[in-house]
Amino acid sequence: MPSDAAVITTGLRKVFRVPVREAGLAAATRSLVRREHRDVVAVGGVDLRIEPGEVVGFLGPNGAGKTTTLKMLSGLLHPTSGTVRVLGHEPFRRERDYLRRMTLVMGNRNQLQWDLPALDSFELSRAIYRLPEDLFLRQRDELIDLLDLGALVDKPVRNLSLGERMKAEIANSLLHRPEILFLDEPTLGLDVTMQRRIRSFLADYNRRHGASVMLTTHYMADVEALCKRVIVIHHGAILFDGALTDLSEQFAAHKTLVVTLERPTDPSSWSRYGDVVASTPTRATLRVGREATAAVVASILSDHDVRDLTVEDPPIDEVIELAFASAEAPS
Amino acid sequence: MSPVDPASASASEPRRGSSLRIPLLHLRVGVMNELQYRANFAVQLLQTFVQVATGLIALALIFDHTTDLNGWTRPQLIVVLGMYNVVGGMIGFAIEPNMGRLMADVRLGTFDYVLTKPVDAQLLASAREFRLWRLTDVAVGIGVTIWGVVQLDDGLSLGRLVGFVAATTVGIVLVYCIWLVVTTGAFWIVRMDMVQDLFTGMYRAGQYPVTVYPAWLRLTMTYLVPVGFAVTVPAESLTGRLTWERVVLTVVFLVVALGVTRLVWRLGTKHYAGASA
Repeated sequence: MPSDAAVITTGLRKVFRVPVREAGLAAATRSLVRREHRDVVAVGGVDLRIEPGEVVGFLGPNGAGKTTTLKMLSGLLHPTSGTVRVLGHEPFRRERDYLRRMTLVMGNRNQLQWDLPALDSFELSRAIYRLPEDLFLRQRDELIDLLDLGALVDKPVRNLSLGERMKAEIANSLLHRPEILFLDEPTLGLDVTMQRRIRSFLADYNRRHGASVMLTTHYMADVEALCKRVIVIHHGAILFDGALTDLSEQFAAHKTLVVTLERPTDPSSWSRYGDVVASTPTRATLRVGREATAAVVASILSDHDVRDLTVEDPPIDEVIELAFASAEAPS
Repeated sequence: MSPVDPASASASEPRRGSSLRIPLLHLRVGVMNELQYRANFAVQLLQTFVQVATGLIALALIFDHTTDLNGWTRPQLIVVLGMYNVVGGMIGFAIEPNMGRLMADVRLGTFDYVLTKPVDAQLLASAREFRLWRLTDVAVGIGVTIWGVVQLDDGLSLGRLVGFVAATTVGIVLVYCIWLVVTTGAFWIVRMDMVQDLFTGMYRAGQYPVTVYPAWLRLTMTYLVPVGFAVTVPAESLTGRLTWERVVLTVVFLVVALGVTRLVWRLGTKHYAGASA
């Protein structure tokens, strides 16, 4: 296998040993003396290959194993078994050459100095990554510009809004221009405008510098805007790995048709084409089986004088839910 | 490879620089942080004076009834009290804040950021928080020490002064080692706050020379806290009471403590699994 991929894992597995005890005072007292443990498989044998410059959405419900996987890739956790290589390094060795080439951003955890302007934290990062001054200034100013941080970097971080702080956090994490970005819910809790701003920045950054990005998020808008490829993980196993567009093909059995007519028709007549989601005499929203879509469109066009007709996949979050549901369903 | 531009390629080649640069920058950040809270300075100053005054009053009370305390004269005990404040101030300035931050980082999961930086994690975690105003303890402690030294009958030689500076440095490093080993327990136990309180309580006993305490307490204070090494040994070197055996023991203890600390730190970070999965 060629080894110039940004990330390669085979059979990557992480098992946590966690203490268990029953509820109640007696059980709590017993556990002081004798602790019982059980093994929890957080990631159960994951094979991944991510190419340089790829932006991959890493999706799954809470507890699916997303963060554990990211932590193994960023060198914070030792895998229980399996192999992992990122940029040619074994991350858990935490070699400095590797750490200088990657970054980890966690949406809910700060690393900027709270009482000081972000510029002071940037200086610290410069020392940590040992950046020569001219390079540091160039990269810092580019990030300030791209993230529109000009008016914010000299205010104490505690006076910034959550979204402004996140932008400064991201700038701080990218000063050393990493080749791979592990982003764990970077838009968590931000308002829609700020989410959009950060998304467009990340897309721009990826285009400019060809960095690989691995992103976990619960916001489907992030995924649609950034990720051509998605990996869906559930109970520590990969459920889907492919193009975002193929996700609907695989998990959504229906498409949505929205029809607008030139002249009114009997609303009850819509039901012969598919499940009626909403209807008026001149307009209907229908849910139609994926396989039957072409035939239904043909018969609507021949039966009616159609002004407008659109065929849509269900919203992406609905598709993801369908994917999780399919994994839960007994086979 | 990816179309990474030349600027990023040069970013991956580190500039040569001293590892001390990062602690010094953190010190600068700490000073800037503290300068915003001037009221803290006044409170700290008051606290320092109350502490020194109660120490001196206690000494005065003791020497109302006796002329020496287990072989220690009044000026010698003033030197111990001064050193107690110097070392306590250094602990409060550099050791305690970093250990507190380390525990909080482990509990909150922000320790992830320490481990993903291309610098020695122990150095980064040990020197990034500084409480400037605790240096008032150091300044007042130096004053009290000098006051004690000038009252000593046999004065002060250069040899004693050099020994004193070396012993103080070694003592502070030893306190750091033991404290870090205990704090590293946070990697396994997560909540270690009570250990910090225990340390502070035991340290308070260090305002008297450890040799005045019963053997069991003396051993605990010397090797566990280790206020004996940090306060009594420097005071002994200033007052001409230091023996060669004590010097050798201190050096051996330092080497062992540094090695064990590094080992425990490595085991701890390996065990660290982050606050969330």
